[in-house]
Amino acid sequence: MLLLRFDGVSKDYLSNGTRVRALESITLDVAPKEFVALVGRSGCGKSTLLNLAGAMDFPTSGEVWLDGQPTTKLSDDGLTKLRREKVGFIFQSFQLLPTLTVIENVELPLLLAGRLDAREPARDCLRWVDLEGLENRFPHQLSGGQQQRVAIARALIHSPRLLLADEPIGNLDTATGNLILELLRRIVTERGTTILMATHSVESTAFADTVIHLRDGRITEVCRR
Amino acid sequence: MSWFPLFVRFFLRPLRQEPVRTALTAFAIALGVGVVLAIDLAGTSAAGSFRASLEALAGSADFEVTGIGGVPPEVLARLATVPLPIKVTPRIEDYARVESTGETVPLIGVDWVASAPAGGGEGTSFAGKGVWVGPRLASKKGARLRLLVNDLSVEYVVRGILSETPGAGEAGNVIVMDLAEADQALGRQGRLDRILIDVPESGELEHWESQLRSELPEGLSLERFGARTEENRRMLAAFRWNLRILSYIALVVGAFLIYNTISVSVVRRRAEIGIVRALGATRRGILVAFLGEAALLGAIGAVPGLVLGRLMAEGAVQLVAGTVGSLYVSSTPAPIELTPASALLSLCAGIGVALASSLGPAREASAVPPVEAMARGRVDYHSRINARRNLTLAVLLALAGTLAAWLPPVAGKPLFGYLAALVLIASASLAIPALVSAVSRGASALARRLLGVEAFMASRGLAASLHRTSVLVGALATAIAMVVSVGVMVGSFRETVLLWMDDQLRADLYVRPAGAGSADRHPVMSPEVPDLIEKVPGVAAVDRFRALRISYHGLPATLGAGETQVALRFGRTRFLSGTREEALSRLPGGDSVIVSEPFANKHKVGKGDFVELALGGTTRRFEILGVYYDYANERGTIMMDRSTLLKYLPDPSPSSVAVYLEPERDIETVRAELERAVAGRRVLITSNRALRREAIRIFDRTFAITYALEAVAVAVAVMGIGGALLALVVDRRREFGLLRFLGASAGQVRQLILFEAGLLGLLANLAGFVLGAALSLVLIYVINKQSFGWTIQFHWPVAVLLAALSLIDAATIAAGLYPARVAARLRPVEVIHEE
Repeated sequence: MLLLRFDGVSKDYLSNGTRVRALESITLDVAPKEFVALVGRSGCGKSTLLNLAGAMDFPTSGEVWLDGQPTTKLSDDGLTKLRREKVGFIFQSFQLLPTLTVIENVELPLLLAGRLDAREPARDCLRWVDLEGLENRFPHQLSGGQQQRVAIARALIHSPRLLLADEPIGNLDTATGNLILELLRRIVTERGTTILMATHSVESTAFADTVIHLRDGRITEVCRR
Repeated sequence: MSWFPLFVRFFLRPLRQEPVRTALTAFAIALGVGVVLAIDLAGTSAAGSFRASLEALAGSADFEVTGIGGVPPEVLARLATVPLPIKVTPRIEDYARVESTGETVPLIGVDWVASAPAGGGEGTSFAGKGVWVGPRLASKKGARLRLLVNDLSVEYVVRGILSETPGAGEAGNVIVMDLAEADQALGRQGRLDRILIDVPESGELEHWESQLRSELPEGLSLERFGARTEENRRMLAAFRWNLRILSYIALVVGAFLIYNTISVSVVRRRAEIGIVRALGATRRGILVAFLGEAALLGAIGAVPGLVLGRLMAEGAVQLVAGTVGSLYVSSTPAPIELTPASALLSLCAGIGVALASSLGPAREASAVPPVEAMARGRVDYHSRINARRNLTLAVLLALAGTLAAWLPPVAGKPLFGYLAALVLIASASLAIPALVSAVSRGASALARRLLGVEAFMASRGLAASLHRTSVLVGALATAIAMVVSVGVMVGSFRETVLLWMDDQLRADLYVRPAGAGSADRHPVMSPEVPDLIEKVPGVAAVDRFRALRISYHGLPATLGAGETQVALRFGRTRFLSGTREEALSRLPGGDSVIVSEPFANKHKVGKGDFVELALGGTTRRFEILGVYYDYANERGTIMMDRSTLLKYLPDPSPSSVAVYLEPERDIETVRAELERAVAGRRVLITSNRALRREAIRIFDRTFAITYALEAVAVAVAVMGIGGALLALVVDRRREFGLLRFLGASAGQVRQLILFEAGLLGLLANLAGFVLGAALSLVLIYVINKQSFGWTIQFHWPVAVLLAALSLIDAATIAAGLYPARVAARLRPVEVIHEE
């Protein structure tokens, strides 16, 4: 069974009163435990595709299926529930909350889902990303690579089936970026999580199973390895 | 003018882009300015009215002769015949109640033939019981007007209308009688209230004064014309001053909000500041631009504030005039006049407060080095590292405030008391960051356990934006402190008055003339009335009390005389100095008095001192045997035994009679008997319970304006919280977007904002309560004592405070509803978009 399916999906935005097409007739299947890299220039629609995949937005036309559920049929609460259970996000600029400690940042998705026993799962996740001992630090006390690993731990805490990564190494140097990419690869291999990663760097696609090239909102090429 | 385009692009546009927040801040200033203006106008209107009403037909004399209990008629005859080129005008001045409307109006007795100006007042012929009235009382001559004067009801024919008569009074509701008619109506037995004297323009007034003084017998006072009006103004000064200070609280709260608005602007525009600085803008340019933004906000608020103030003055004048009438002096509100000076002062107050409160953040903006400008979070970081220093400063200021509270008044004004209050507010403001930091951090774990992740995030969010949160908490805390301190002061005062009434009002029934009485008006009744009452079966004793308006060392006061033996037998008057038994037992017979606490404080006298009174053509020194607690009015009272007063002023007419019944007598039965006994006399017989109820009603009405001012200050603060939360939502939209990415529902984001609002309210309640408790001590023991001379027993009005604080917290949460809605509706993909 497919984890993610885009069926003729288009997405339009209104920009200063003008309709702009961000995605055009995207059809895409992603299998479980697959590492998919979306490659393209800035503005080609990578983030829009990730947002649709993560049930953060609705398509203008077409249908997105996440773990067998059509997102357009769900209410806002339904989408929230879907995200809580099945999706994790990591971002280019890490997006850690500066007011929370490392462990509090990691706990957040479970707490938002109403779970009170978040501390131990958060510790496990931090251990898994090799950040044991840094639980009580604040984000600004960490390096960029460490911050991104905290973000990954946060994205994994509720064991999502799909991890969406938007330029995860865009703010990191090459060596640190490679370490993060290795970690993402491990997530797929060891935890069986599907990853959809947007990137503009062709080098970072080396860790992916499938590379999808996007240009002006359209898929121009799909390479499966 | 290089800063002008900079100003338009970087300041006017953002203000327009956030219309709700700009409008809220401006409206807060408008309310602050409006309240200041309204109180100023209302105070002027209420204070100006006694001159307008009592000076009808007085013209502009040079001197006036007055005496306690009136001026004997022979003095007029003597002055009229002295070989000096002077003009003397006798006057009787009192008040009457119009029976049809219940309105109390000034009643002036003049020598009509001499006083009526040519062509002024229609119908100058006079015969029988006739009056001339202001246009508000009757529109045509020949109309009939029934007046209640002292304890008699008499019908008069309107002989003429005083419309547009020069000097006929501005209030339009004056009654003028011929001197003989007024003398008869008021039972003055020829005694006059004032003799006005005009002297030729040649020669120094001092010279005339000494000449006239030599012609006057001892026991009368000769003063420059208008001295009584000046006395009243002086007496009202403390009241007006305190009210004015209270009205400025809303502006102080507004100042916090302007400070917050400009601080937010500075934080938001750090990058812009860096860019324009890098492009060549000077520090001064940045400073001027931010000050300009504040001045603009001040002006946007102050201009509608003028309109608002004028509108609010209509309501305020009723409240202020009510208080002035009950506690100080007979007053009919004069028309409200918005003078250019008042308008300018209010505009300056609004813009000035805005400028002063923005100086700090504007200077900070101008000091931003361009390179650092892009760095985020510097302001909050500063607040955190300065928290300890601020806390030290707060402690020092609290000590300074405490010290200031011990200092004596300056020119009768509790300036150091106000300073102490201001310093304590500043101290609290400096301590608030530490409080916010400690409470929000300490409470976050508890909040998470008890209220969930939303409360946890809210407490962390507030701690993170410490700078902004502290200012908001400071604004609301100041308003809450005002509610608490004034609430405690009024509650304590009320409790003190209730206890005092238990001691003071011991009689079962009180009888007074139905004519218009007040703090400075003491209508009398026929001396037969108490004699008749005394004979009614069941009456154990009566206390004939006479009150007279006097002037003591340039301030109005009351001279009272009662039957000390009755007071000794039934009363429980409590003494501040001297013992009750000793003071009251020595009072009859000798030239001795007791004085009320306000009198003792106003005139700096105490037990063993002497007061000098001009009574019955002689000036006497009276020894003060004790100072007693009194909350009847703020003028101050000198009390002597009735026999002493009669020795000097042989007028037995009492102003009121306290009736003590024999034990086990039914009050209503005796009351019915009393009414029968005094039938034909217009007197009011009031039971003890009804009198207390009326006293408390007047007390509560007196403080209604205070509650109104508190409500405005709280409204300003709550509006500010709403505006600031809206700004917070805009600034933290990425955070809220992220939470949605991490699985938060829209409802959870909404809850988070509401928790923040609630927590802000809670922190403000905490800080405001502590500050308010401290301010209440300053109010009760310093400001009130030095302004009015009353000792107030401290009392916590727990229920009132709890209700007020809960209401304020609820209002704060309500203020978060709209920002919460905005936050919940943010589109996460838009706010977190990174491409």
